Amino acid sequence: MKAKLFGVLGLMVLAGTVHAAGDPVAGENKAYTCLGCHGVEGYRNSYPSYRVPKLGGQHAAYIVSALKAYKNGDRDHATMQSQASQLTEQDMQDIAAYFAQAGQGEQ
Amino acid sequence: MTRMTVLVLAAAFAVFSGAASAVNFGDPAAGKEKSTACAACHGADGNSASPTFPKLAGQYADYLLQSLKEYKSGARQNAIMNGQAANLSLEDMEDLAAYYASQEPAVFPVSAD
Repeated sequence: MKAKLFGVLGLMVLAGTVHAAGDPVAGENKAYTCLGCHGVEGYRNSYPSYRVPKLGGQHAAYIVSALKAYKNGDRDHATMQSQASQLTEQDMQDIAAYFAQAGQGEQ
Repeated sequence: MTRMTVLVLAAAFAVFSGAASAVNFGDPAAGKEKSTACAACHGADGNSASPTFPKLAGQYADYLLQSLKEYKSGARQNAIMNGQAANLSLEDMEDLAAYYASQEPAVFPVSAD
């Protein structure tokens, strides 16, 4: 009976990880083009002029949701839409995982 | 000083005065008072615990302001944020942006190594 319970719990844990978690090491490579804007401190969007957001330490899930919104056009920004259009789900997870742990020690 | 010298110095001053990340709009203290509704999702100091809601603490103030403006105008769509921003005046948005930008950073610049 206990074995069955642990078996079910084990399956539930695995089910939660079906979505491959992002790999920050792969993400660092994939984020190369992102850093062209997001890696230059104080870099400004051209018009209207505002600074592109800091991403280091941001929640990975939030970054993924933003990339998905750019990819499917729910969120409007020409450069970000074209950037995101190239990304697979796994790319987004990896890039987000990279940014989530990046920049912490650089302040 | 020659005119050229004055012009060069003025240009240098203009360039370098923009380089600082100091916020030049909004009142952070007023922003803190106005942020009660925001804290529920984004955390009291902008360091949100839930991955659904982005961390705001230490984010660029002009980016935060732009985001609030876009939520208010509907240029950026989010059911919760459109509702939240609808009632904010420009002054409110500037104060909130200044407040979160000045908090202990939870987001950081990342540089290409």
